[in-house]
Amino acid sequence: MKILVGVKRVVDFNVRIQVKADGSGVATEGVKMSMNPFDEIAVEEALRLKEAGKAEEVIAITIGPKASQEQLRTALAMGADRAIHVETDEDVQPLTAARILKAITDKEEPKIVMLGKQAIDDDNNQTAQMLAALANWPQATFASKIDVDGDSANVTREIDAGLETLSIDLPAVISTDLRLNEPRYVKLPDIMKAKRKPIETFTIAELGIEPAAAVKVLKTSAPAARQAGIKVASVDELVAALKEKGLI
Amino acid sequence: MPEYKAPQRDMMFVLNDVINVSELAELPGFEDATPDIVQGVIDEAAKIIENTIAPLNETGDREGCRFDNGTVTAPAGFKEAYQLYAESGWTGLDKSIDFGGQGLPYTLATAVTDMLSAGNDAFSLYPGLTNGACEALVEHGSQELQDIYLEKLTTGEWTGTMCLTEPQAGSDLSQVRTKAIDQNDGTYLVEGTKVFITGGEHDFVENIIHLVLARLPDAPAGVKGISMFLIPKFMINSDASLGERNPVVCASIEEKMGIHGSSTCVMNFENAVGYMIGNPNEGLRYMFTMMNLARLMVGLQGLGVAERATQGAIEYAKERKQATAINGGATIIHHPDVRRMLMTMKALTEGCRMVAYDTAKQYDISKAHPDASVRKTANDRVELMTPICKAFATDTGCEVASLGVQVLGGAGYIRESGMEQHMRDAKIFCIYEGTNAIQALDLVGRKMKLNLPQNFITEMAAKLEAESSNSELAFILEPMKIALELLDETTQWLIKAAQEDPQNPAAAAVEYLTLYSLLTHGYFWVIAAKAALIKQDDSFCQAKLATAQFFAAKILPRVHSLAPAIMSGAAVVMAAEEDGI
Amino acid sequence: MAKVLIIAEHDGKKLNGSTARVMTCAQGLSAESVEIAVFAAEGAAVAEQAAAISGVTKVLLIENPANEHATAAILAPQIEALASEYSHVLAPSTTFGKDLTPRIAAHLAVPQISDIMRVESPRIFDRPIYAGNAVITVEAPEGIVVGTVRTASFSEAEKTGSATIEKREINVELPSHTRFVKLETSGSADRPDLQAAAKVVSGGRGVGSTENFKVIYDLADKLGAAVGASRAAVDAGFIPNDHQVGQTGKIIAPELYMSFGISGAIQHLAGIKDAGTIVAINKDPDAPIFEIADFGLVGDLFEIIPELEKALA
Ligand SMILES: Cc1cc2nc3c(=O)[nH]c(=O)nc-3n(C[C@H](O)[C@H](O)[C@H](O)COP(=O)(O)OP(=O)(O)OC[C@H]3O[C@@H](n4cnc5c(N)ncnc54)[C@H](O)[C@@H]3O)c2cc1C
Ligand SMILES: Cc1cc2nc3c(=O)[nH]c(=O)nc-3n(C[C@H](O)[C@H](O)[C@H](O)COP(=O)(O)OP(=O)(O)OC[C@H]3O[C@@H](n4cnc5c(N)ncnc54)[C@H](O)[C@@H]3O)c2cc1C
Repeated sequence: MKILVGVKRVVDFNVRIQVKADGSGVATEGVKMSMNPFDEIAVEEALRLKEAGKAEEVIAITIGPKASQEQLRTALAMGADRAIHVETDEDVQPLTAARILKAITDKEEPKIVMLGKQAIDDDNNQTAQMLAALANWPQATFASKIDVDGDSANVTREIDAGLETLSIDLPAVISTDLRLNEPRYVKLPDIMKAKRKPIETFTIAELGIEPAAAVKVLKTSAPAARQAGIKVASVDELVAALKEKGLI
Repeated sequence: MPEYKAPQRDMMFVLNDVINVSELAELPGFEDATPDIVQGVIDEAAKIIENTIAPLNETGDREGCRFDNGTVTAPAGFKEAYQLYAESGWTGLDKSIDFGGQGLPYTLATAVTDMLSAGNDAFSLYPGLTNGACEALVEHGSQELQDIYLEKLTTGEWTGTMCLTEPQAGSDLSQVRTKAIDQNDGTYLVEGTKVFITGGEHDFVENIIHLVLARLPDAPAGVKGISMFLIPKFMINSDASLGERNPVVCASIEEKMGIHGSSTCVMNFENAVGYMIGNPNEGLRYMFTMMNLARLMVGLQGLGVAERATQGAIEYAKERKQATAINGGATIIHHPDVRRMLMTMKALTEGCRMVAYDTAKQYDISKAHPDASVRKTANDRVELMTPICKAFATDTGCEVASLGVQVLGGAGYIRESGMEQHMRDAKIFCIYEGTNAIQALDLVGRKMKLNLPQNFITEMAAKLEAESSNSELAFILEPMKIALELLDETTQWLIKAAQEDPQNPAAAAVEYLTLYSLLTHGYFWVIAAKAALIKQDDSFCQAKLATAQFFAAKILPRVHSLAPAIMSGAAVVMAAEEDGI
Repeated sequence: MAKVLIIAEHDGKKLNGSTARVMTCAQGLSAESVEIAVFAAEGAAVAEQAAAISGVTKVLLIENPANEHATAAILAPQIEALASEYSHVLAPSTTFGKDLTPRIAAHLAVPQISDIMRVESPRIFDRPIYAGNAVITVEAPEGIVVGTVRTASFSEAEKTGSATIEKREINVELPSHTRFVKLETSGSADRPDLQAAAKVVSGGRGVGSTENFKVIYDLADKLGAAVGASRAAVDAGFIPNDHQVGQTGKIIAPELYMSFGISGAIQHLAGIKDAGTIVAINKDPDAPIFEIADFGLVGDLFEIIPELEKALA
């Protein structure tokens, strides 16, 4: 079976982003970009399924500008077999992304589409669910454990109430949470091999997709800062302060 | 200790905008070194170094290596980190594909070593010395030795050492006494004691391959009678499995000022079986082919420690609040003197990076360019820059680490801050692989005879001339022009003064090397400033330009005290009677 | 005028407090009506709790054995069948809502607004991006507005209402491809719910072990507080995942948040920005948590907690 894995180029999670003074967005010029950490986990999980003999092929897909090929190369270096780049300089919102992924899914017919549960830039947490809806497939979001068994899978999900296990028929969409696995370090020879692995490129128009109506971003602002607090010297002082505020 | 974050923005700036790394992909054999590979290599190396190797820097320093009856145990985590590093293919980055390497340019290996040394300088020595052993084997080893040893050294499955120093033979290798007796069966029995051997014994790998300088019984005295031998810790059977233990014994390890995570061993060769590399009595020449790379590596250690100290100091200065600054700023980074220290650290560190990466690129050209005359020119540059990369970058390491402690104030002197470790670690880089004095003598001696410094002065002058119409660069072009004239004058003086008294260049060599290095840095700051001018809207480039201005205004003027000091001659240095000192 | 449908979150017996927070958000939409849909196998009790939320026009109770567990693939088609009657469909931005609403939006061919933190007008909202390090003001296009509501940004609506409860049957085909197997809870039923609690006591990697977490639980019990944790503490296995606070855990807004042995990484801080008062106990005076704490105390948590307990006794 094939697994299709989504890979998004985002500002590296270590970067402290700055909101532009004119409210037009977040400064990304020259900022370190990486693969969305949840997607890295998705790639790792797909590779582990392949290594366990449960999948034959892992295909990485990204939607984004030319530079997103760097993240595809990372996925290929980790071990993905080939990659698909849907190239666009537009801001692609989740519903459009889901439509693109649906079109690729129709072409490739994977048994599992594995996506990160959210991208750490816009934190939407939507694309996997939307793709599952469009394909009328089962979805198992926020996965922390995946057992594939023939044509179905048991997926443990991290939800607010604890750990929920669902049994889903394949094909399905799975979104990954942080504790699913720890992604491997890329090996240098695999970076070289990745260069020779194929990347197929499409435009959104070539896929015959109509972009969805978009949410319009009117402005970007910095969050309200908390008032700086104080250091107290002792437990007694702390307790007195909390009592004064009526908190204990 | 603050976490190490690879300065990827600066590294990519130097690679792309200063040295134009993309040209390497046009050289035969380096077709793979395209921009995407360069980016991928830097990204992934940064990841593994930041996450697995750099975190062991402080614990490695505290724990140190342990010696027990001939065995040496590296600090906790080193072995696993080394194995991951090797298994991930990083040790073979620039080595031949024929022996399991990746055949990438040395320039990329340089960028990775920059990160590795900054992340953990003690750790970086284990793969670092293996590189030297590989290089000697590639250049001078027989096919048979290459077949047996090169692949395992390339993949890091085994590590290598360089065994030169003996108790009576340090800077002066003519004193080497270790003996080698021909067994007339292709092997030699080697007997003697080597001291200060880095990585001579440790617990990472199953075999350690020593490259040893020793004398045949009938060898001429002095450096002309030294041969090089390969001596494995374990003999290799004909089926490539490990055989008997060779009597190469670690007698003890040194307690040191710094780099505690690196084992520094006394190695006794007790009639150990060795194989000669190349021809008898040519060992020193062979040693020098690998010495260039080893010296460049030590220069990168200076750069690395400077980078780490700079990162720590900047981070601290942005947080520490102490007296409202004159400009109203709350944190100490607003105090002009703290800023002066930080900018000095930044300017020197970034300058060393430019010189190191460019020298690496010249090295690649000198090996791979199809045109012999281009290769020769590039090789001349490498020859000239090797002592500069080694000595100036390691002096910089000490200066910057010391400033780092100063920026932190009392906290800097306290172990927990992690700063004092950098200061302790940095000193050895000025000593091993030929002390910085020996580097300076090389510059004013051999390199001057080959006209190398003179040629590059001409090249620098041409560069300044070519840019002279760019008024935005006047801030650096003007002082550089004056400084270059001074360098030229000093160079001419040295050549003349050497004929009057050979002590004249010897007494001024270190100062001359510093002077020359400052001009070299200035040359690259011109290129960097020009690149940064193009996109000033971005805070990185704004800071880059400001750093170039700082260099031109605050560091380059050092030349004006160096030049007259150099030209004051040896007499004042030697005047005092020995008994009176 | 807006007609709002809120999807109730519950466990079959109790309505989750997040639903009343979504109600508060809905009140900002100057709605003509706000209805709450309860999907359950047997939901009378939950429907009644929903009816008590002030401002609710009507509660729809959709009972069906298939609705026993809140499975997105099963709930979504039923909600889609209802949706055309409304201008807004909202759910809390909990794992329940996050899982569910995008599936609805995609079928309705509208984008979704995630994590609404402020309502400017019925189509204009604020939402956080980059782990809350920036806020964007967004406008939804034509069509139904589907959104999740960042519960930490809204207080619970009052419980003085008495809306009518209307049973509904929805006849749509439900898929059989997704089956509930089990739910493992960490069994802290007698402690306050982390997302609703007025007080939270939280432990990080500094707590050191599962055994040591007992001191955190004990202090929480003394204060009547819920227990939270950093990701590092969860990753190390000191405490189950449903206690994680932060960008990828729970985003909470208790009146009092007390952290012990948590350094204060931005991903963790993203979860507590809206807390009333933050108290930080950490032995490292430079820990970033002190930059946002209202009261910071430098010291060893194992010495400070016993002292605290004494002072509270
Ligand atoms: C931690 C550590 C690791 C090492 N690792 C290795 C290793 O792996 N392999 C190895 O073979 N060696 C190694 N060494 C040895 C190192 O290379 C020597 O210490 C170094 O070359 C200097 O030699 P020396 O210590 O004998 O000093 P000396 O040669 O005695 O020098 C003392 C001083 O005299 C100066 N001096 C000496 N000769 C001249 C001259 N001609 N002109 C001007 N000044 C001069 C030197 O600059 C120095 O300031 C290591 C040393 C240390 C401390
Ligand atoms: C994509 C992504 C998402 C993430 N999401 C989250 C998230 O949702 N929530 C989250 O919490 N993290 C999240 N993280 C992880 C986050 O970056 C930090 O790694 C994590 O929050 C650190 O947890 P910590 O503060 O417990 O541990 P550490 O950073 O290790 O800090 C431990 C602290 O304990 C202190 N300490 C130790 N012993 C004592 C003692 N005896 N007394 C007092 N103090 C002591 C130390 O001084 C230190 O400050 C995420 C990371 C990524 C990459």
